[in-house]
Amino acid sequence: MTIIAPMDARIETFIARLRAALRGMPEGEIADILREIRSHIADLAASQGSDIEAAIRSLGDPVDLAKKYRAENLIARAECSGSTLAILQGLRHAGRTRAGRFTATVFYVTGYVYVVTLWSAAIQKLVFPSRVGLWCIPGDPWSLSLATGGGAPGARELLGWWLVPAAAVAGWALKYLADHAATWWIRRYRRSGEMETS
Amino acid sequence: MTRSGTPDTAHTPHLDRWEVQLRKGCLELAILGVLWPEKLYGLEILRRLESDSDLALSAGTVYPLLARLRAEGLLDAEWVEADAGHPRKYYRLTTTGRRRAAEMARMWSRFASNLGELLSPVLERR
Repeated sequence: MTIIAPMDARIETFIARLRAALRGMPEGEIADILREIRSHIADLAASQGSDIEAAIRSLGDPVDLAKKYRAENLIARAECSGSTLAILQGLRHAGRTRAGRFTATVFYVTGYVYVVTLWSAAIQKLVFPSRVGLWCIPGDPWSLSLATGGGAPGARELLGWWLVPAAAVAGWALKYLADHAATWWIRRYRRSGEMETS
Repeated sequence: MTRSGTPDTAHTPHLDRWEVQLRKGCLELAILGVLWPEKLYGLEILRRLESDSDLALSAGTVYPLLARLRAEGLLDAEWVEADAGHPRKYYRLTTTGRRRAAEMARMWSRFASNLGELLSPVLERR
């Protein structure tokens, strides 16, 4: 078997470009990826009569390769950690089009705006009990509103102190739904995989 | 990716897209399946997929996917010194990975069998 010189300039150029494009990922992961890619090039070139150019070409553009690593990494983190930040980062890559990714992110952020509103209402109700509440004008169900500073003229407060546990629970439920919907979206995208035709 | 069209097959863009989607859906199962009997390194996985399942994938697709499957705890990896003069990263299924592979294989088998029955009149007519 042909042994490829470990410091071949073409390999080093590819590795340097890949390293630059992977910047931001954990250093340990970058080192592991580069070591594996270097090993792949050496193996493939050795099996093709030392054709290093062909081996490097088989990996495609290093920037595209780094994008795939980043996307898979973010998707795995979103699925495994379940943290809001990881899910948001995962959504940035979960979708075939920019519009799809943007829409999914907007839905997720909107869900979180409502979560924060509900939790904020629960806390404010404890501090300003007479000014915060769920208000409704009798006979007009469309006038239902969660408001601070009192309701509209003639509005009646619903729930009273029960607003505190109700808003807290509703906030948790909405957070659960938003996280699961976003993770489902990411998983749906992940199942479709990344596969070029050649 | 290789195309499985025959001369009399009307390969429309729609059919091509459908075939690509079908193969994409099987990618994870194919990788778990190829690692079921033994540990393999990246290039071996690529070649085994091509020879055993007609899934000719690019290295740029498979390596990031292997990294993700490892991050999800389905694969384990270790560096092994090889005769080639450089170490190779070998992948093997974890217990979770074996369980996932078995579940996915069962689902796939049931699905393919049911669909096969449904499609048998279509195939016989041809």
